[in-house]
Amino acid sequence: MAVVAAALLAGCNGGTVDQHALKQDSKTISSLATEGGLFAGQVARGESTGPYTRIQSDNLGRLAANLADALGRRKTSPGIEPKVRTAGRLAAQVAEQFKALHDHPTDRAVARSVQQAFGPLADHADKLAK
Amino acid sequence: MNKIFGVALGILAAIGGFVDIGDLVFNVAAGATFGYQLLWVVVVGVVGIITYSEMCGRVSAVSQKAVFDAVRERVGFKAGLITLIAAEIVNAMTLTAEVGGVAICLQLLSGLPYRVLIVLAAIALAIVVWVVNFDWIERIFGYGGLCLLVFAVAAVKLHPDWGAVGHGFVPHVDTGNKLLYAYFAVGLLGAAMTPYEVYFYSSGAVEEGWTVKDLGLNRLNAIVGYGLGGILSFALMIVGGALFLGKGIDPETLGSIAMGAQVPLGEIGLILALVGILFAVAGASIDTLFSGAYDLAQFCGFEWGRHKSPAGAPRFTLTWIVLLILAMLAVMTGVDAVKLTEFAVIFSVVALPLTYLPILLVANDKAYMKEYANGRLANTLGIFYFVIILIVALTAIPLMILTNLGQG
Repeated sequence: MAVVAAALLAGCNGGTVDQHALKQDSKTISSLATEGGLFAGQVARGESTGPYTRIQSDNLGRLAANLADALGRRKTSPGIEPKVRTAGRLAAQVAEQFKALHDHPTDRAVARSVQQAFGPLADHADKLAK
Repeated sequence: MNKIFGVALGILAAIGGFVDIGDLVFNVAAGATFGYQLLWVVVVGVVGIITYSEMCGRVSAVSQKAVFDAVRERVGFKAGLITLIAAEIVNAMTLTAEVGGVAICLQLLSGLPYRVLIVLAAIALAIVVWVVNFDWIERIFGYGGLCLLVFAVAAVKLHPDWGAVGHGFVPHVDTGNKLLYAYFAVGLLGAAMTPYEVYFYSSGAVEEGWTVKDLGLNRLNAIVGYGLGGILSFALMIVGGALFLGKGIDPETLGSIAMGAQVPLGEIGLILALVGILFAVAGASIDTLFSGAYDLAQFCGFEWGRHKSPAGAPRFTLTWIVLLILAMLAVMTGVDAVKLTEFAVIFSVVALPLTYLPILLVANDKAYMKEYANGRLANTLGIFYFVIILIVALTAIPLMILTNLGQG
């Protein structure tokens, strides 16, 4: 059990980025950006709490930052380097938006602007995933 | 009248205590991935846990012995030891995930540092286990867990396609990714039939001094408590399907799950969801903690029981304290509670036959159970579920590897 678990955990965010991995990672970026948009919308409407907004944006931002870091470090299959770089940039931009929300958890104007920023990021990541 | 009131309170506590971190993670993720298609699996899982819990409770009420006592007597030392090791490994993983879940909920509610909250959570759980009596532990966490009913309200407010929801109760596969579908089906069954639940249920029956006079109460608790508790699982999956599936969101954190109530119900929905999740995972932490200590004590023949003073059952007390400290240290390493939950559920599936076969054998043993041995219905269901358990146990790890832990 421990060996299987260790092997699977070691495989997270590791290995060469091929077409399949790029698709999966782009889907994850799109999912994070879409969730971020939904979440920021709640904050913008004043339907969240300060601690939840701060901690949840930190948690989601960390997932995006880890992905950006992994996409920047991992080897890439030939021919898809530009797309992988784009995906890495998108993940970093998603992380930045979450950081803005984390730094201003009760500021509804910031939340509105973050919500608007997440839309195009999600669309772009979605296109990469296809 | 008092008795009816007591039964009603017990059932309420059972509903609130039904959901643990495995149910939360797998039900919402299954909804977000396949919509309502896997609702039928929840029904299968709930009937399974009702079947075996009823057997466990009956064995305890008739023999005044809990499951692991029976395992030791019925399957011998070697097989019993393998069962014990498997149960303790799965238990430790589940406990770690639950303690991590408690700390995450506290952090989402308070904003305090995670590591501080891990320690506070462990201390608070230890104090509750040490100070509060068994009945009140069940009540406090069961009633607190009822806040999760906010997900039932959220499910309605999200206006799902009720026709599709109804169709979800009919087994069907409407996806190109059949392996992923099978992985989630196995995970949902594992989450519903987690071994610690039956160990805890049967030991709890002994703690509460059940006798054959309580067989009706046992049946009622198992059928109504778990049955109605299943509604929470349906609600979680419907929320996953109605809110996350269409938007392509893969809810990867406990905070994301809480958003399932926040979006349709606003801040009050969010707070109720977080409080409900907190009580549910804290209650499950205590159940797994006790379960680990019960299993070891019953296998080794130590004095055990929360009804005894710590000095009256010192090795039992020491076991749960050590388990809690180990879980706290494991969470402190920064392990992801949600990912660990998925591992714990899948590995618990592998251990299911070792848990349920001895129960089936003992409950069916006329020398042991006399006129209270399994009837035709209990045997049919018991054997049917044991076959299902065997199949899912054999396929769980290959499916986990082939789907990259449900990533597709």
